[in-house]
Amino acid sequence: MSTKGTHIPDRLKITFAGITPAPTQEKGQDLFPTGNWRSIRPVYRDKLPPCNNACGTNEKIQGYLDLVKRGKYLDAYALIKEDMPFPSVTGRVCYHPCEQACNRGKYDEAISIRAVERFLGDLGQALTNDVVKAGKPNGKKVAIVGSGPAGHSAAYQLARLGYKVTILEKSPKPGGLNRGGIPVWVLPPEILDREIERLVQMGVEIKCNVEVGKDIRWDELKKNYDACVLAVGLIDSNSVRAEGEDKQGVIYGLPFLRDIGMGTSKVKLGPRVAVIGGGNTAIDCAREALRQGAVEVTMITVESQKEEMPCVAEDLHDMLEEGVELLHSRAMTAVLGNGRVEALQLHPARFSGAINASPIEIDRDSPADKFSVDNVIIAVGQHASVKWLPDEFKNERGTIKADRFGRLGDTNFFAAGDVVQIGTGQQLMVVNAVGDGKRVAFNLDKVLRGEELEPRTIPVDVIFDLNRMNMTYFPHFPRVQQTLLPPNSRKKTSQEVILGYSEEQAVEEAARCFSCGTCNACDNCYLVCPEPCIARPERSNGMYKILIDYCKGCRVCIEECPTGCLEGVPELDFDTGVVRMDTAFAISPGLHGRQAEQLRQLAEQPAKNI
Amino acid sequence: MSYTELTVWTRGIIMDKEGRDIVNSVAAAARKEGKQSQAMENYVDNPDRTNAPTRKYCRVSDGVIENALTYENENPNIVVLVEGTMVKGWDYMRGMPPGGTLIINTHYTPDYILRFVPGPERLAQLVCVDAAKLADHKWLYYRLGELGLDRLSTEGAAERSKLVAPDIAAPLIAAVVKTTGIVKRETIEPMIANKKAFEMAMNELHIMPLNAAVQVGA
Repeated sequence: MSTKGTHIPDRLKITFAGITPAPTQEKGQDLFPTGNWRSIRPVYRDKLPPCNNACGTNEKIQGYLDLVKRGKYLDAYALIKEDMPFPSVTGRVCYHPCEQACNRGKYDEAISIRAVERFLGDLGQALTNDVVKAGKPNGKKVAIVGSGPAGHSAAYQLARLGYKVTILEKSPKPGGLNRGGIPVWVLPPEILDREIERLVQMGVEIKCNVEVGKDIRWDELKKNYDACVLAVGLIDSNSVRAEGEDKQGVIYGLPFLRDIGMGTSKVKLGPRVAVIGGGNTAIDCAREALRQGAVEVTMITVESQKEEMPCVAEDLHDMLEEGVELLHSRAMTAVLGNGRVEALQLHPARFSGAINASPIEIDRDSPADKFSVDNVIIAVGQHASVKWLPDEFKNERGTIKADRFGRLGDTNFFAAGDVVQIGTGQQLMVVNAVGDGKRVAFNLDKVLRGEELEPRTIPVDVIFDLNRMNMTYFPHFPRVQQTLLPPNSRKKTSQEVILGYSEEQAVEEAARCFSCGTCNACDNCYLVCPEPCIARPERSNGMYKILIDYCKGCRVCIEECPTGCLEGVPELDFDTGVVRMDTAFAISPGLHGRQAEQLRQLAEQPAKNI
Repeated sequence: MSYTELTVWTRGIIMDKEGRDIVNSVAAAARKEGKQSQAMENYVDNPDRTNAPTRKYCRVSDGVIENALTYENENPNIVVLVEGTMVKGWDYMRGMPPGGTLIINTHYTPDYILRFVPGPERLAQLVCVDAAKLADHKWLYYRLGELGLDRLSTEGAAERSKLVAPDIAAPLIAAVVKTTGIVKRETIEPMIANKKAFEMAMNELHIMPLNAAVQVGA
């Protein structure tokens, strides 16, 4: 380039001008501040991936998938344990809202996040000592009523914060819905026992066979503890209000599963079993019925087709594989038989979804069908049983009246889990209860420390649009399938149906993650920058730095960022980055001086360093 | 005798024609009005590099231009920044005598932009015009491949587009004419291709008078 005619002030005319030192890794090119060529500044701004956003407890899913991909399993396990006390349980039972939200689902197949979580959970189970330890004791005592997912989660987080936690459980064994609502062929009891053992190792005391209102009164809870979390769940089954529901052979879904889970079941099923309901519990009941000796199991639902059933599609598929029949658009209106169920009276029905009336419309004028069965299992939802609760804390739905922080009025009583979430539009599932338990634990801690409660912050930027990422970097790649036991053999045993990933499978699956909107240190920006404008001391998220004095704003890094975490922000939005050059190419004061200094030092350096 | 220097700062290749259109049309209009004028580009600025800052000059005088053979405008009375971000990068105010005018293509207001202007006490007015919006331009930087088409003319060959100011130059010319009166509107308007943007800009300038607004040394 010719500099003829360019105005160069006298102060810049120094001996060494014109010799350009080579760019370095730390500083990039250090002579011309070409940063003022830029109108758009690239900025690293991590967004919330949709999986983290959809997860009931906001697990850092992208984070642990990335760590698994790099083989840092223990780090990944520690990351998951921040939000989830029992990944080995949710890795088996979770209805994975994260996978439904996964952006990869719009591209080929969603990441099997649950399977990777299970891999990490099983890794944690094998450790002699858990990575999480109880916090420094703060001398305060908290009682938790119920040891289900919400109670377990609240106890875990409070123990980490240093509270002395006591869990009061009315059943003979702890675990709540994890033990009493989930069949053993989904969640083997020894897995849950190990997770509860971890909780006890953190100093949490679990008192079984203690029922609130019977063994311990409300005012005793108030007197003996600094605070209390009510995570009592929904334990009473809904009835379908059919005639003759009290006949022998009529069983309700949750008690059926609970008694089997607790080992106290006395039920003997006949060869023909009908299950009323189309949800996840109904599916578990139908599959459990096969394992309890039933030969023909029919599921009777009001929905007109299986796609409308309020359940997880994978579980429905596995159930149909095992040979359960579906009977759609029918509602049970009476249980027929002489003292014992012999047949069901079914009327045509449809799900209307009405809010103020019954959501199920039954056509009682049409002729009824007679359906012969030996047992019927009714699994149409549960409701709370809170007779012991003072009236002032009950709401019109018959559950606990808690504010948005889970607090009961101005008291130190809190409520968490299904008992609060029912009727709020929130889906009732283990992970949502865990998340609620976690948030209530943090709110309780704030209240006891006298701090102001703040509403849960809403994530501002979640990437749902694939166009915000660079999809050319992601070849289509099928999901790594988990192995299942064959349907014919599994339906007769209590063996776990779905098998876990091997290490290679987990790494392969984790490597499919897009890392939506979040830097995963792929180094692409570092490599594609045409100038050495991107510096990093090590290859890790948060370590990349743009040298704004030299970045020309060519947008190459932004366009080529696979995850979409790099954004172009208008340069004028920043007050910084003002570098005045005298003319278009004349160098600003100081740069020549720095160059001269470097050149002077060159002579003193050994030849191999130059 | 009146003598005015106009310097346009623009960016290489992608906005090169815009800058060239401004100085050429103003100089041509001045000649039509019977004045002496000249317009030239600064090739030393390396205008054939995308985004590189580059300058265009125009001089208008009632009499003979004494420094007609000088390359740069030493004391520009009017400075136009075709791309707003340039406000942070260069000492475009160098040599400006008191009472000058600075015109910037930006959607920000003069209140915000003033913080980036070096030596604003020399300005009589700071003018912000959202030329990209007025010309309904799909903002240049997002579609470099499509919009950096005028490479040939940047290299000094024939102008690819014969139109004068078909794009964001039109509102900027309107701003120059309206706020400085360097040439008459009637003379320059027939040359402009994008008449709609020119017309709109006449009514949508953000003009900040500065003699009273900025204290010297404040």
